[in-house]
Amino acid sequence: MCGIIGCVGRGEDTLSTLLHGLDQLEYRGYDSAGVALVGDGDLRVAKRAGKLDALKAVVGDRADLAGTVGIGHTRWSTHGPPTDGNAHPHCACAGRVAVVHNGIIENYQALRDELAADGHEFDSDTDTEVVPHLVEASLEAGRDPEAAFRDAVARLEGSFALACVVEGTEAVLVARNDSPLVLGVDDGATYLASDVPAFREFTARVVYLEDGEFARLSADGWHVADAEGTRLEKSVETVEWDAEDTGKSGYDHFMLKEIHEQPRALRQCLRGRVDELGGSVTLEELPELDLDRAHLVAAGTSYHAAIYGAELLCDVGVPATAFLSHEYATAPPPQEDATVIGVSQSGETADTLAATREARRRGAETLAITNTVGSTMARECDHVCYIRSGPEIGVAATKTFAGQQTALNLLCEYVSPGPIDRDLIAALRDLPSDVQAVLDGSDAEAVGEAYIDSDAYFFIGRALNYPVALEGALKMKEISYKHAEGFAAGELKHGTLALVTPETPVFASVIGDGELARKTVGNVKEVEARDAPVVAVTDGRSDVERYANHVLDIPETHPRAAAILANIQLQLVAYHTAAKLGRSIDKPRNLAKSVTVQ
Amino acid sequence: MEVTRGVVLAAGEGTRMRPLTQNRPKTMLPAADRPILEHVLDVLVACGLGEIVLVVGYGRDRVQEHFGHAHRDVPLTYVHQTKQLGSAHALKQAADAVAGATLVVNGDRVIDEQIVAEVLAGFGGEPTVSVLEHPTPSNFGAVRVSNGRLTELEERPEGGGYRLINAGVYAFDDRVFDAIARTPRREGEIQLPDVIGTLLDDGRVRAVTTDGLWADATYPWDLLYLNRELLARERIDGPAQREGVWVADSARVHERATLQGPVAVGPDAEVAAGAVIGPAVTVGRNGTVGSNVTLRNAVLDTDCRVGDGATVVDCVAGQDVSVGAGAVVPGGPGDVRVDDRVFESQALGAVLADRAAVGGGVTFAPGTLVGAGATVADGVHLAGTVPNGARVVR
Repeated sequence: MCGIIGCVGRGEDTLSTLLHGLDQLEYRGYDSAGVALVGDGDLRVAKRAGKLDALKAVVGDRADLAGTVGIGHTRWSTHGPPTDGNAHPHCACAGRVAVVHNGIIENYQALRDELAADGHEFDSDTDTEVVPHLVEASLEAGRDPEAAFRDAVARLEGSFALACVVEGTEAVLVARNDSPLVLGVDDGATYLASDVPAFREFTARVVYLEDGEFARLSADGWHVADAEGTRLEKSVETVEWDAEDTGKSGYDHFMLKEIHEQPRALRQCLRGRVDELGGSVTLEELPELDLDRAHLVAAGTSYHAAIYGAELLCDVGVPATAFLSHEYATAPPPQEDATVIGVSQSGETADTLAATREARRRGAETLAITNTVGSTMARECDHVCYIRSGPEIGVAATKTFAGQQTALNLLCEYVSPGPIDRDLIAALRDLPSDVQAVLDGSDAEAVGEAYIDSDAYFFIGRALNYPVALEGALKMKEISYKHAEGFAAGELKHGTLALVTPETPVFASVIGDGELARKTVGNVKEVEARDAPVVAVTDGRSDVERYANHVLDIPETHPRAAAILANIQLQLVAYHTAAKLGRSIDKPRNLAKSVTVQ
Repeated sequence: MEVTRGVVLAAGEGTRMRPLTQNRPKTMLPAADRPILEHVLDVLVACGLGEIVLVVGYGRDRVQEHFGHAHRDVPLTYVHQTKQLGSAHALKQAADAVAGATLVVNGDRVIDEQIVAEVLAGFGGEPTVSVLEHPTPSNFGAVRVSNGRLTELEERPEGGGYRLINAGVYAFDDRVFDAIARTPRREGEIQLPDVIGTLLDDGRVRAVTTDGLWADATYPWDLLYLNRELLARERIDGPAQREGVWVADSARVHERATLQGPVAVGPDAEVAAGAVIGPAVTVGRNGTVGSNVTLRNAVLDTDCRVGDGATVVDCVAGQDVSVGAGAVVPGGPGDVRVDDRVFESQALGAVLADRAAVGGGVTFAPGTLVGAGATVADGVHLAGTVPNGARVVR
């Protein structure tokens, strides 16, 4: 989704600071970029469709592009195609006001008609462009810039993080509603961004803005105010992630780096939470949590973690259901006494925020399971459990999925009314080393290569391996652009079997040798009889190898941990397939890391 | 001439460390509480280098994942040596990543800060090597020095009355790459000592005589020596809980367990009641030590499990090794057989490579080597060498 950066107090480094911030925001996904700077009273703008290099080329040719105050933006198109004209910043008629925006302004058409009737001329197809014209109109009516900006924001309906600069005023004005925005505070300089990594190299001290809040950043410092302009007290917090965590460290892609970081990420997730010799699981941050019934709400990869989590909770006797968060928000089921658990890597996923907000409105207790400290969901929910995976840059989630699964296991044992499962606790403590064993010995690259020309990829599994199948398919389609479908193994002969041919490999996740495994092996035989190649992901306890063309091994462990390990093999297959096909693995086409619009 | 950049050679497997190198290079094997290479990087950072290039190859994912993008805020760059064709070939791979004066150091030996500091101080543009006294020069590159100049260098000499060795810490300017290009390959490889030979033929090579810790682990059991040296010199990350006892904040040690220093217990580790650990023991990250276990002179790498009542003495365990309840590694001395060579009377109980899983009540003859991923059934008596991946049922 769109990314915003801004800074004051950086002097001659203003432009380079903005460009650095845009580099750091690239991972969110974008199709155009731009900057605006104010210096010596003048406002200057540069923007381009395409990659940041296109913008940097323009900037390099513009000696006039200087200033001491600036804003920048990476755009992920929602209204209008990715063109130079639709790129942000957007300006008003006289070029005195420039605005960058993340979110969607729902009443923009009405505002645009009204402004056009007053003689304002529009250059773009975007919803954003109404904002600078509204500010301009208010300035013309004699208001000062800060008041004019508040006037403009008061007219907006929808979601937005906005940053605005006005000619002749060496300050950045910002506002937030339903879109992420955070200030970075340093001695002599202040930053604003959609996400901390954009300025993390310069400062670790941050101020999180709440919905409905405004801020003004200038050389004199910063302050936060409400819609009436009344100043608010805000606390300055310190973030722990290092800027150094965001390099590729010799790996070809962030995704591969993050796949390899999983043992470390899971160690962090488990740290201090499991006591094997004492036989207990503790989540210190959830002392008050009372979970009698749960609705898990999530989208995308997190939804697959939610399905997995719901199954774990049901297994220990807590009725739980996973819902797609966008469906839950728009067509909510009876809530009864359920605790609503939002699962979101970023904690900013608009669909999932809408679901947890709807739940709160109806009086439910809410719990956020997220990777991002200080995110909107973490702040809005009654409880929060962090998965502690560290920053994830690749658009395709990997280590955070494993982190979500692990955290859900901890949650499940923590709230379980029954006796603690000691085998599970041992399996969780063994998880980092078992993941390392998968990484050290995986044949996924050979499997990816063997099926590189396939028409489609199918993924099947039962029970805990059902979300593994769904996630395996999602990873494959996200980064390889190949058709892939995951489903419960039992569904195979209810339809999809018609699509199975010798050109469609079927990936079957088969753990243990119990009834579930035997049934999945039965499905594998059906596929094999249609001459489709079979790739078995297995701990080797069943006889699935007899029907498989390739086997991806995982260590023997508790079935709950095995589902986490099986997914890692499928991450590697998707990665190597996409790498062989030369895809843009870290930034797949049309996708964004943090989906902050509904 | 100021040197601000370092190149660390970390691409080789270190085959004499097999079977411990099944999944990672020798540089990532444990030297007390952290990998050998981490000690090397710590030294370079302490000496003020502002940029470090790591030449990686065998098992490079492990190196890259462990260190990431920077070490103690000093940026790291990775250069991939796809085929391991000697240390000079490795340095050549870094040619594009370095310019001007560069410190070059092997990543598989624990060295003192002093050694690096003296090379940096002594470098004036001429090729510079550090040399130090060693009791057994014949195992290393032996050298002779006269008036601060290197006069002779011979790899693993037989006799010759040497007393100094090449410490494997060098400083060069760009001209070293030309010297590498002019050095002929031997058996397909180009080694840095051969390049030093070329530089000697060209003229002067400065020798900086130094001293301080220089600890080379050649064979798996040498990791016990490294462990003892580093514990004795207090080279453990983080503050000691009391003299000679380091317990990470996130570790859980039962109040009725006994730690006899020097002992280090890593992050996330658990130690149960009645365990007696030490002296000279490192329990790695996320290790689990059961009740009434005895551990003495041992290094257990990450994720190891020792079952209740086991006795483990003079033992090196790789990652994710499990030792069943009541197993006994009584300790050395014993004869160790590696390929066709026999090393007599080594102070070694056993070496257990990564993911070896030994059942309950297993007993070990001194000097036993258990391969990576090998499984051993309950109650077996082991002696000699168990190959990688083997299943021993009786």
